[in-house]
Amino acid sequence: MQPDINEHTRSADAPGAGRVLAEGTAMLSVRNLKKVYQTDGRPVEAVRNLTFDLRPGELACLVGPSGSGKTTLLKCISGLMAPTEGEVLLDGAKVTGPPKKMAVVFQEYGRSLFPWMRVRENVELPLKNQGMAKPERDRLVDEALEAVGLSHVPKSYPWQLSGGMQQRVAIARAVAYQPEVLLMDEPFAAVDAQTRADLEDLIRAVWKKLGVTVLFVTHDIDESVYLGERVIILSSSPTVVQEDLLIDLPAERDQLNTRALPRFTELRHHVYEQIQLAKTGQRPAAASR
Amino acid sequence: MSKKVLGIAGILGFLLTWELIPRLGIIEARFLPPASDVIAALAGYVPLTAFWGAVSETLLAWFLGLTAAVALAVVLGFVVGSSPFLRRCTNSTVEFLRPIPSVALIPLAVLLFGVKIQSSLMLIIYASFWQVFIQVLYGVADVDNVAMQTARSYGLKTAARVRHVVFPTALPYLMTGVRLAASVALILAITAELVIGSPGLGREIALAQSGGAISGMYALILTTGLIGVVINLLMRLVERRTLSWHSSIRSEVIV
Amino acid sequence: MRIAKGLLYALGLPALLVLAWWAGTTGAKNFFVPTPGALVSTFTDTWFGNRILTDVLPSLGRLFVGVLSAIILGILAGLLIGSVRWLRALTEPVLEFFRAVPPPVLVPVLMLLMCITDGMKVAVIISGCIWPVLLNTIEGVRAIDGVLSDSARTYGISGWARVRYLVLPSAGPQVMAGVRQCLSIGLILMVISEMFASSSGLGFTIVQFQRSFAVPEMWSGIVILGLIGVAMSLIFQFTERHILRWYHGLREVENAA
Repeated sequence: MQPDINEHTRSADAPGAGRVLAEGTAMLSVRNLKKVYQTDGRPVEAVRNLTFDLRPGELACLVGPSGSGKTTLLKCISGLMAPTEGEVLLDGAKVTGPPKKMAVVFQEYGRSLFPWMRVRENVELPLKNQGMAKPERDRLVDEALEAVGLSHVPKSYPWQLSGGMQQRVAIARAVAYQPEVLLMDEPFAAVDAQTRADLEDLIRAVWKKLGVTVLFVTHDIDESVYLGERVIILSSSPTVVQEDLLIDLPAERDQLNTRALPRFTELRHHVYEQIQLAKTGQRPAAASR
Repeated sequence: MSKKVLGIAGILGFLLTWELIPRLGIIEARFLPPASDVIAALAGYVPLTAFWGAVSETLLAWFLGLTAAVALAVVLGFVVGSSPFLRRCTNSTVEFLRPIPSVALIPLAVLLFGVKIQSSLMLIIYASFWQVFIQVLYGVADVDNVAMQTARSYGLKTAARVRHVVFPTALPYLMTGVRLAASVALILAITAELVIGSPGLGREIALAQSGGAISGMYALILTTGLIGVVINLLMRLVERRTLSWHSSIRSEVIV
Repeated sequence: MRIAKGLLYALGLPALLVLAWWAGTTGAKNFFVPTPGALVSTFTDTWFGNRILTDVLPSLGRLFVGVLSAIILGILAGLLIGSVRWLRALTEPVLEFFRAVPPPVLVPVLMLLMCITDGMKVAVIISGCIWPVLLNTIEGVRAIDGVLSDSARTYGISGWARVRYLVLPSAGPQVMAGVRQCLSIGLILMVISEMFASSSGLGFTIVQFQRSFAVPEMWSGIVILGLIGVAMSLIFQFTERHILRWYHGLREVENAA
């Protein structure tokens, strides 16, 4: 396997940065993002310098070795945490707190749903909080529950459902919120393999239907290649972009045929190699300053 | 670090407020003496043997009552808890007796024992017994079926099963019970001394109040609070020590 | 059949105990313990008359007002202190101290400050039983799950909505644990404040019986306090089950896993 698997899409920008779009055309821009934690007075550099752009309506996966600051990055993007340096732009506006047009689905489904509310109330709460009128709210909630295949359990409490179904509730809540950007932090890391495949297809379906921009964080290489139009590979900590890879698989994907394509295997192989390189500490040239 | 500084600032701020309230005449000093007077009164007590006598009488009643209650509750708790039959038989009786306030027994204690330490003990044991007993019952009921079956399949006899499976499971519950019982026991010790007049700090408080030694009364109250703080810290330390292996399992919610 | 069996389990031991009590007291005349029959007749004579208006109801009224105010104040202050980190650090040691002070010592203090009035008795109850509610609320607010809190933030749930939909329900189990302690301390303080400093009320009446060696009447007083305790506990359990239904269900699911 030649290392330059799709050279034409490799970022033309500085090494250590992802693809950068022309100004005003990106939905989500991450610019020179750096995050340093203070632990016991000792600074720990979780993210060194991250730059990449997401086009409106794009589905990009962010994959990296464990401990590569994926969650930190996601918290900075979602405005839950302020970056030490650099900035995040949503539709051209700088993110300073959780933006209105962004929804996040967390890995810990059991802890991100309100256990004292029924499924429907959980999905409805963000809309109610926005002061949306009841008929409009009901319509969105019904649609969202329908979209994730949960129309039959609106009266259940989330903890009465299986893990996969709980994560569907969290996805429904995000969908009903009508975000422009959907962030997902390893959402399927804690569900079993079968459910996971179903949920992957669900995400592709929801994404296509809503035309929402999705940034999907995962540590699973197969998942990133299967889901994404693009895979952004992170280096190990302190984190930079190892590679920004275009996934040129057909837009219609399914678990059996797509995964059997020779191109799928090639891409998967390539991502795997890059992550191995990242783990051994080999970094894109200019980022090791 | 800054948390400690803030905590100390909080204490100083509290003392300052207390000092200023009578000084500015918001409450008359003969009802609430300034903090400095009370601390001076406390310092005046420290060299007195009578003061330490009262402290040790209170602590003795606390310790004896708590020990007896815990011993009783552990034995009964394990016996009742490990037999479904006994658990079902005693349930209604326990649910009826437990909420009875221990102070209801004050007249009976006076009638039976007068102002002797036994009066305090009766109230302390009654009140703290339930705290421990209920927790032991919860603990024994919480024993993992799989662990129990594993032990049985490896041929552990009843005694060994209690020692290696039931007891470790129930221990965190037991410790929670003991910690709660320890503070309840102190409350009842002081109550008995205050209301009945059995020897100890509570009686001294009542005497100081009726004798008009107001600063002294506040100093004694301060002492009971300090004893309470020490007992709480000690119990938490013991709990953490014994449960260092799975302190995360138990949340503090079941009280 | 199942109901009969359940009834037998529930009533078997109490029936045995009453029988033993009856057998123990009927034969030899015992000064300290009346027979069950004598106690029942004394109970009705003593409490189902004027006394219920002059002593029992006023006592219960003070208890109700005191406990309710303590719960409301404790939750409000706990929400405030629990949500503000520096305030929590500032007040923690002082609150730990107040929690550790045995509440009954407040009786002589408040007697001094406010003389012997209804207000004083209510104040004793409030100042004694606010601490478990306050400290448990602080702890419950502090222990809100980080992921849940992040979820609420990303959906723009803040301010009063955050308190109503996230903070209060999440702290609920802790708060209710505090309320349970608050109720039992409240009952203790109601009795003590009357025993110590009063000329009416349940505590006062019972001590009067004891001082005049009216033993069956004294026992009937103990029984009525016990009944009040049991009634409070039942009301609490009912309310708690209703408010924390989700929590008990969640625990059951977790324990079964």
